[in-house]
Amino acid sequence: MSSFDDISEMFRSELDKLTHLLNSTNIDSNLSPPEIVEIYYQIMNMSSMNVMLKQQLNSDDQKSLLDEIIETEKLISDKFNYTIHPQILEKLTQSIQDITTNLQSSSSGQKSKEEIENEAKQYEELRQKMSTKEFVEQYGKGLSDD
Amino acid sequence: MIKEIAQNLVNLKKEFAKIYDGISQIQEVIPVLKSEKFPINDLDSLHNFAKNNPIYYNSYEKIICDIPCIVYEGDINKYWLNSIQYGSSRAPFSPTWILSAYISSLYAKSLGYCQVIDIGSGDGRIAYCAKVLGLDSYSIEIDDMLVDLQNIISESVGVNFNPNCSDAITFDYSTLDLSNPVFFIGGLAQMGGVALATGILENTQLTPIKKNTGLVLAGTVSQKYASDLMNHAGWGTLIDKFSLDVIDTVILPAVWTFKETDDTHYVFTKFQK
Repeated sequence: MSSFDDISEMFRSELDKLTHLLNSTNIDSNLSPPEIVEIYYQIMNMSSMNVMLKQQLNSDDQKSLLDEIIETEKLISDKFNYTIHPQILEKLTQSIQDITTNLQSSSSGQKSKEEIENEAKQYEELRQKMSTKEFVEQYGKGLSDD
Repeated sequence: MIKEIAQNLVNLKKEFAKIYDGISQIQEVIPVLKSEKFPINDLDSLHNFAKNNPIYYNSYEKIICDIPCIVYEGDINKYWLNSIQYGSSRAPFSPTWILSAYISSLYAKSLGYCQVIDIGSGDGRIAYCAKVLGLDSYSIEIDDMLVDLQNIISESVGVNFNPNCSDAITFDYSTLDLSNPVFFIGGLAQMGGVALATGILENTQLTPIKKNTGLVLAGTVSQKYASDLMNHAGWGTLIDKFSLDVIDTVILPAVWTFKETDDTHYVFTKFQK
């Protein structure tokens, strides 16, 4: 097993990444699928680490790290699960609806090769967002199962 | 001979996939002229289907493997969007190549089948090719937008391949006066095909003619999909459950295998006598 210092360092490094991600992400903007996946990946990574470390920390001299873990859990729960996650899901749903409406209203008349291939990019974006929404919904389902 | 033509088409597709530099959503090729590798008399009919099919928006000549071909570029996005919006189909529309449809119909004809029923027929290309080959053909598609497309093509090319907008599982096959039919099941085993084929196999109207009936099942051995423990490109369990005999497997390109190394396995089966 790694030394306590190694564990602490790893924990803080991952927490820094998460804090940076949450602070630098503008939830009001339309996040791209890779940005969304990166945030959720780091949240899941941090959550798993919290569970694993809590099982291993028991002595009083490890209490400060334990407190940090509990703080991190609170951050994930209050800031992410109950605020950011629903916002991301709502934005994704709205964006999918907007793209769908736009594609459906696009005239069905004769189109040039360029117009068709440009429209195909919107379809690709729609597929990516639908698949990302499915991933985000799975995360939410995990929360409701807890 | 037919399997050699199929292999030639697989080779042609592999070379085409290497050199293709366009960005269209779907693309396929058809040789311009009858040749040693493609001794097919009906190539003009196949080009006619592509030229009159609104899913293709561009075409150009290209020599591939020393064979002059026409490349057809197309887009089927709006049909995908329609199917997911209204839940009108079990599997998204993603067609086989037109020449693959022809070769598989030709193989069915060589096995002695008289009628082709194209289930989940998309734009109706298998039913069309069967009709071109002189077989009675019927096209059954649940998605009304695709049936509208089939009617447009049918009218434009002047070939009636009998498009029907219906759920193939509950369709009344007794109205077709079938004697020696082969059913082509649209959709990979792994993409809704098993549910569709099961529904057809359990349709009691087929019971009186089962001994003369064949089924062509489209499958894949791609590792992207869960494999079937009993093999046959995803169909082994169904083949075993319904005691089907496997006649042969013909491998052919389809739109969904354009970027894949493994092409589609068309497993020809029949009921045990």
